[in-house]
Amino acid sequence: MVSQAIQPKRNRIIQWLAADTMEGIRRQRALLGYLFIAPSIIGLLVFIIGPMIATFGLSFYKWNVFRPPEFVNFENFSRLFSDPRVFTAFRNTFLLVVMTVVMLEIIALALALSVHRLASRPLSYFFRTSYFLPVLLSGAAVAVTLGYMFHRDFGVINYYLGLLGIPKISWLTDSNVVLWSVSLTTVWRNLGFTFIIYLGGVSSLPTEILEAAQVDGAYGWRRLKSVVLPLLSPTILFATVTDIIKMLQFFDEPFIMTRGGPGDASRTVVMLMYENAFGNLAFGYGSAIALVLFAVILLVTGIQFALSRRWVFYS
Amino acid sequence: MSTKISRREMLKLTAASAVAMSTGLVSSTKIFAAPPGQETITLRFQENEQYYADVVEAFKQQFPNVNIEYVTVTGIDHAEVASKILAQLAAGTPVDIGYAATEATQLYAGEGLALPLTQRVLDSKEELAEYFADVSPVLTETMMYEGDLYQLPRDFNAANMYFNTELLAKAGLEMPPAEWTKDDFVEYARAMTGIDGSYGYGWTNRLWGSWTPWFFVNNTNFLVEERAPGGEWMWETFYADDPKAQGRGGGWRWPAPQANNPEMLEALEFVVSLTRDGLTPEVGMGTGETLTGFFTSGKLGMTPAGGFWSGNLYNQGMPKDAFDVQFWPAWKSQRHQLGVGAAWILNGSQHEDEAWEFVKFTCKKEIMEICGLFNPVTLTTPVRRSMNNEARYSVTGPANWQVFYATLDERPDTGPIPAPVFSIEMTDIYTRFTGLAVNGDMTPQEALDGMQAELEALYARQ
Repeated sequence: MVSQAIQPKRNRIIQWLAADTMEGIRRQRALLGYLFIAPSIIGLLVFIIGPMIATFGLSFYKWNVFRPPEFVNFENFSRLFSDPRVFTAFRNTFLLVVMTVVMLEIIALALALSVHRLASRPLSYFFRTSYFLPVLLSGAAVAVTLGYMFHRDFGVINYYLGLLGIPKISWLTDSNVVLWSVSLTTVWRNLGFTFIIYLGGVSSLPTEILEAAQVDGAYGWRRLKSVVLPLLSPTILFATVTDIIKMLQFFDEPFIMTRGGPGDASRTVVMLMYENAFGNLAFGYGSAIALVLFAVILLVTGIQFALSRRWVFYS
Repeated sequence: MSTKISRREMLKLTAASAVAMSTGLVSSTKIFAAPPGQETITLRFQENEQYYADVVEAFKQQFPNVNIEYVTVTGIDHAEVASKILAQLAAGTPVDIGYAATEATQLYAGEGLALPLTQRVLDSKEELAEYFADVSPVLTETMMYEGDLYQLPRDFNAANMYFNTELLAKAGLEMPPAEWTKDDFVEYARAMTGIDGSYGYGWTNRLWGSWTPWFFVNNTNFLVEERAPGGEWMWETFYADDPKAQGRGGGWRWPAPQANNPEMLEALEFVVSLTRDGLTPEVGMGTGETLTGFFTSGKLGMTPAGGFWSGNLYNQGMPKDAFDVQFWPAWKSQRHQLGVGAAWILNGSQHEDEAWEFVKFTCKKEIMEICGLFNPVTLTTPVRRSMNNEARYSVTGPANWQVFYATLDERPDTGPIPAPVFSIEMTDIYTRFTGLAVNGDMTPQEALDGMQAELEALYARQ
């Protein structure tokens, strides 16, 4: 009886969808569209929106896995804003972002412009591959190897500096130097990716504008400043936005090379979040840190886009 | 009768198999693969197949209905491994049998994650009598918590002093005697420093090893130590005739911090002075492996390590007579620090009985002998006294291998590294302030005051 009642209704839906009218065709197209984007939407819900909602909820609880979560209202946030280690971690992260992103963008752009000018195709391929190779290496492996290289007493970096008469530098144990070591490692590992973005941007610059600039007498620095950089500005915006977001989530290199030390000198926000959640089993507090970091990333990205109206040239 | 299957029948069979698989009927078909009346079960075991393949093979011959699924968890140290195990627990995929060293024993026991084994041990006392007779009470006590036993010890490592014998010879020195002192150590370090760019003594910043052995021999600890009541069942049942078991309790407790006491300060000032005087290279975060390269290449004269390091050095190509080992030098005492590792069973596992059988099985001597951690190369020190013999160390060295177990038998005051339930957070505080003292950002007094303040706050939060 039930199936007999459902059958006509199902038939009506199928007829409505498969109707051979303009409306029906539109419905079929829409349905097909939804079917195509369904995997992305489901992935977004399950792996991004879902965990974000869970993190938001968890930030109001005290939970250590073993015992049921206990609602603590805003306690995690009040602890966060009075915890000096959180401010240290944010300061370190911002310093690392500034140091790393500035170096990344300048070096990657310079390399992209140089490689683009190479007339020899094999040489161009060689440099593209060489610069990109470190991106393919495991962050952990890179950090361990460079950790040995940066060792004050046994590392090869200080050995060669010593040959130049430069005294030993405590790359990983001096609070004033350690961020530079971490930053240099990160720049080396991520340079290839930013380089490829810039190379793509440089390769697609309109040749007629560049040639016109040349005819008008714009060469060298003048051509770079007044023609190339404005034309590249959308690429620069994209590269800086993605690099800043990535670097605000700094983790691998300092975690493996220094474990955040000495003291908290190289501890980043994501390290602090990880250590609180998974080390100290303070999942609520870790979630609160994650949420504040998310807000900061959102704010920084928003500011970048707002400021981009003044300097990014779309045409 | 024809045995041919038509295409249509084949398709039907395939479809039926697919439906059966998707509806879970396959799990019930496993029952028929096992001996009648026995269901095949799977134990999730936190170990590396490379080390346990032979053990599991032997177990399956005796228990064909039990499958072992390896769950490999790696980490820089035991605290990080514990973090990952807890993350798996949070994700709803816990192991049935985990592995924990001292760093995480009380964490699992205190939070009710590990199953207390007391009653099971007593029920199997005839079977386990031979095992406990072969295992030092120092190790057994370390695996107890509030009167109950949570793990049957498998391996241990006490921090002894390793020597690069080639550097020693170049310095015109011989191996020191067992009763050597802190002052002798300084002389040795001084003599071995500067030979082809070498340093006399190296260590890394962590909980085990690190500078922990120095405050142990200075008769102190950064947490107050006391014994939990209980545990008589163990000592009376298995160690009644062992004088080294007298006075033991139901495990260790660390009820309060005392990081800035005068003896701690004295010990920290001593290790800082080694760096200041150029006897110790840069001290960073790391483990025994971090120093292996420097030691094997003749850049370090001495370093703290346990039995695990001999196999490690051998695997790195160091000849067995190129290194040796001695007790830690005496200061106010010669009390050593150690860590013990063993399997634990998930409290609430659906297969507690099978897991217990597996754990017991892996502690049999003939089974431990085939375990990849002890055979063919000894990668960690076996807890059985009888397994620490000349044959074991004849391939890898060191010549003075007796030191490993003598640290327990001849110095029974040897105790575990401090590792209460909140040991992961405690270790972070300990290493953070240690790093600030050895790099000169803080004086030893400032570092220990800071450590004490944060430890007090940590205790207050519990």
